[in-house]
Order: sequence, then structure tokens, then C-alpha cells
Amino acid sequence: MLEREITISNRLGLHARASAKLVQALHGFEASASIACRGKEVNAKSIMGVMMLAAGPGTAVTLRTDGPEAEQAMQAMLDLFERKFDEGE
Amino acid sequence: MRLVFAGAGASRGMALGRARLEQPSRFLIDERPLGEDEVDAELERLRLAIEAAREELQQLRRKLHGSTAREVAEFLDAHSLMLADRELTAGIYELIRKGRHRASAAVKMQRDRLVGIFEAMDDPYLRSRKEDIDHVIGRVQASLLRESSAEERRLAARVGEILVSDTVAPSELLPLAEHGVLGVVLTSGSSFSHSAILARSLRLPMIVAAHAALSAVHDDDLLLIDGESGEVVVHPTAQDLARYRNWQRETAQRSKQLALLRDTDTRTRDGVAITLHANAEAPTDVAQARTLGAAGIGLYRTEFLFLQRRELPGEEEQFLAYRDLVLGMQGRPVTIRTLDLGADKSDASGLVLDAEENPALGVRGVRLSLRLPQLLAIQLRAILRASAYGPVRVLVPMVSAAAEIESVRRMLAECARDLRSAGHEVAHNVELGAMVEVPAAALALGGMIHLVDFVAIGTNDLVQYTLAVDRNNDHLAHLYDPLHPAVLKLIAHTIHTAHRHGRRATLCGEMAGNRRYTALLLALGLTDFSMHPGLLLEVRETINGLDHATLRRHAAALLRAPTRERIARVLQRLGLPD
Repeated sequence: MLEREITISNRLGLHARASAKLVQALHGFEASASIACRGKEVNAKSIMGVMMLAAGPGTAVTLRTDGPEAEQAMQAMLDLFERKFDEGE
Repeated sequence: MRLVFAGAGASRGMALGRARLEQPSRFLIDERPLGEDEVDAELERLRLAIEAAREELQQLRRKLHGSTAREVAEFLDAHSLMLADRELTAGIYELIRKGRHRASAAVKMQRDRLVGIFEAMDDPYLRSRKEDIDHVIGRVQASLLRESSAEERRLAARVGEILVSDTVAPSELLPLAEHGVLGVVLTSGSSFSHSAILARSLRLPMIVAAHAALSAVHDDDLLLIDGESGEVVVHPTAQDLARYRNWQRETAQRSKQLALLRDTDTRTRDGVAITLHANAEAPTDVAQARTLGAAGIGLYRTEFLFLQRRELPGEEEQFLAYRDLVLGMQGRPVTIRTLDLGADKSDASGLVLDAEENPALGVRGVRLSLRLPQLLAIQLRAILRASAYGPVRVLVPMVSAAAEIESVRRMLAECARDLRSAGHEVAHNVELGAMVEVPAAALALGGMIHLVDFVAIGTNDLVQYTLAVDRNNDHLAHLYDPLHPAVLKLIAHTIHTAHRHGRRATLCGEMAGNRRYTALLLALGLTDFSMHPGLLLEVRETINGLDHATLRRHAAALLRAPTRERIARVLQRLGLPD
């Protein structure tokens, strides 16, 4: 299992559109993926799960992936966070 | 008794119709429990309703057009994913199966539960996004209701009506428009809301923030609304109706007039020919460009071939896309821009780029292409092969140094040689141009103009880089000003330098399609515009009414003006809007 800490740095946090991008980025990877913060862990492949996490800008979250493509899935998530979800493009 | 009140215009156009009031709680919920033998049928009803809701979202997505389509599409995608998410739907099925609730009641219970979670969130923006839950739930409720004949009657009654409501979900707008609703008046909302964006996209007149609407208007009152001024007239008088008929006549005439311009030349009143190209990335843009009489494609963005996918497109795939584009334009020139991506825009799977501190000033555009020469070579080969089917030009983005152009030109020549020796047909003179969007390229253009066959001015980035203002930063919106004297000087200098050396200069940013800037750009010497195809006829009409010589005489005064207010004053003196 892979685990990475990251701080949410896009302008508006994990709202519906950002959550949708995360779910889409993970689509097709043979890996489970989750996001955790404040003692709550949700399935990162579920848009409702990610939205319900209520992770606003500046929140520290833990990303976890597991499975044959855990590494690629983790990279896909990290890329999206680093690109700040392509917001305002 | 005539009554007038005002909201804010959110989507242009006038509408005259009967008022239909919608109170905030829209759906009647059937609370009677299900009999044991009804459960399976109710589960199936819900499944079909969710499926129908998703299908409607897909349909809506296909009908978007205009500059806001992408933003709206992102919302529709998010809502579509929500409807497919078991974390949303499993609970509803459970409430039907175990709780014996009817589908509509179960959907409402799930909605209340989820909204409760949102309302407990600390972050104010995320908290406000319970709106997304309501949109999605509202869509499922609507499709549950639609089966009943009462709903059909309700919709049938909508022909010729103006909806008056507190709020409307984007997902409700399309069915409303399709059922003949003529306009929308909302007591809340803003012209930046998703519904307003969508209304503009659908060309449905809309007024927002008309606080008095629900108390001042009654069902079946005759309403006249003006989505431009935000005015709502209840019980309009004969005079109001005359105004409306006037507007109708003018609008009909305008669209007829604009349609007449489809196949005409673009010429100023004093006979100077101006060339209007279209920007394009989707096949629909290309079709529209052709039917509206664009002189060619002035900017074909290739990024979409690279985004949202896990593998890079190969030469063959790119070749087919470019060839179809060239064939679609039937001999009119097509300008293909090489990949314009940076660390902030690259896709997770296709291209893995290092994260950068400052992607706007990082490895992007031609810098990325030259760092990944294999990638550029594939793209250039694909473009060159397409050149056998019609006139093609290559445009290089984000150029700041002459050496970058030299490198690309060398590669272009090598690719052409390789292709020819492999037996491919390649046009003899595929022109190469540079985007001028970095101030350095504009200022030092004289030193590199001999290396290019044409230039294209990308004003969106040129403004951002000249003024050091991120155009997506809300706090700096007042500083992002295409009329800043520094920007105008760079644009004028670029056009002048290109023309002096016998090169064409096309302007292809947002400014090109905004008729507020048309006169100014003509004054600065611009003769080649490239814009969203939907704006072509309006700009053509504007140009046809302007006098080129007069505008050119005022170029110096415009460039001397120290502030945008003074620029506006010069334009006003010419009898033009600022």
C-alpha cells in the first residue's frame, strides 16, 4: 500500500467539479484509492465520498492506494492536486 | 394595473408570456408506504428515473455552445458522476426495499441526509455546494414525476409561460426551454451562476435578483421581461407591447441581416478588405466556420488531442484529425498550433511533467516541444502529411527567442525531407508562424520576423504577461485590462513590424471576437482577426460599418492616451462605443 500526505491547495477545495476530476483521473486504474482527513477516510473513486470529506483549501489529507496499479493511481492523484485541478484554465 | 420592478439582466432577449410561479418546495411527496408486492416495481421506477436523469444530462451536454460551454460541461459531468455513484443511490434503494418508502419519498430522505452533512461543513464554499446535491436530486424527482400524466399536463401548460421562481437548477433549464418556456425571472441568483451561464448558452432570456417577483406576480399575470436591462413589467400596456413588437422586429431583422453577411466579404465602409478567420478545436467549430464564411481556421488548438487520456496520440491519429480538418475547410487555409501545454495544464496520463513553482513562466508551449523533440516531430510529421490535402500553416506558441523558431524550422524541414523520401506527399511551402504572446517576442519581433512567414497575436496571454496579472485570480480582475496602454503599444508594434516585413499578423485572443474592440484594433492596423466562429457575423457587421481611414488617422492619439478612460474618450469622439 502507498501512502502520501498532501495539502489541498486549489482555490476552492474538493468541491463537486474537483471531486469529479479526481474520480475521472482514477478511472480505469486497477487500484483502490482513498483520501483521509480528520479521522475520516473515503473512497477516492466515489465522487460523493470525496465531496462528503468536506476538505477545503489548506486541509492536510492522506492519500492511500493499493493494488497492481497503486503507483500509477497515486501519481494520477498527486498530479491532479499539484495542477490544482486545472481550475481556472 | 401596470407594475414595473427590476432585477439584474442575466441572459439577453425579451419575452412576453403568462407568469407561472414556482414556490421553493416544488415536488409533492407521496408518503404512503408501499405494499410488499409494490417494492420491486418501485425499485425499477427509481432505476429508470436515475437512468433518464443521466441521459438528460448527456443530452444537455451535447447542446451547449458558446464560450461557457466547457465550464457548464464540467458541472454536468460532476452531476452525472454523482448519479452513477452507489454512495448516493444505494441508500435510496435501501429506503425503498427495507423502509417501504415510495421512490420520491426515499429520494427526498436521502437528499435531506446529504444536505445535512453539507450544512455541517466548516468551509463556506463547500457548504454552499449542497446546491449540487439539490440539482441532482431535483433531476431524479423530475424524472420520477414525469411518468405521471399530471406532470405532462404541467409541462404542456408551459408553452408561452415565463417561469417565476426563487431559483432554478441548471438541469431544469433545458427541459423548460424545450417545453416552450419563454423566459425566467428569479428572486435570487446572480448573472455568474451556472444557471445564468447556461441560459445564455441556450439563449433563454433570464432576470436574476428580482427580489419582488414572487410577491408581486401571480399565476397567469401577463409579463414582459427584458433580459438585457433586467426590467419586469407586470400587466404591460399597449405602449409596452409596442416596444416588444419593435424589439421582435429588430431582432428578426438583425438575424436576417447577419445571415445575409454569411457569404459576403468583410470590408470597411471605405473598401479596405479585412480577413476573418475562425478559432476551432471541435468538428462542430469547423462546420460552423465554413458555413459562416470564415476565410480559414486562424487557430486550431491541438491540446484536446492530448488531454484526458493515458497515452499520447500517435502520428497516424494526429494525421487523421488534421487531414479531416483540412478537408473540412475545403481549400481554405488552416493554421494548426503545435502543442500548447505547461505543467499547469498537462494531463496526468498522457504527459508526465514535473510540477513547477510558476508554471505560467515555466516549460510550456514551444519550450515543452523543444524539450521533448520526439513529441514535436510526431506532430510536425502529422501536420505535414495533412498538407497534401489542402493549405496548412504551422503556428508555434509561447515563442520568446529567435533560436526557438530556428529549431522548429529545422525540424520542420527535416520532417518534410524524411516524409518525402518515405514516399509521402507533402506540400511545398508549409508556412511557419510564431505566436506573439510574450512581451519579449513583441518587442524584439524585428529581430526574428525574417525567420517566420506570419505571426499570430495571442492577446489573452499577452495581457497576462505584460501586466503580470494572472487572469484567473479574482482579486486582480480589475488589473487585467486589454486596454492598458502597454498592451495596445505591444499589439500596434507587432502589427506594424509584421506588415513592414510583408508578413500577416492575425489577432486570435478574446479581443478579436469582442466587437467593443473591433474599431480599436482596426485603428491599430489589424487586418486579420481570428475568433470563435459564433462571433464572426457580428464582427463582420461591425467592420462593414466602420471607416478605416478615419480610424487609422486616430491610431497615434489612441496610442498616446495614458489611461483606458482617455482611450475610451478618443473612441467616443469617433462616435464609437468604448
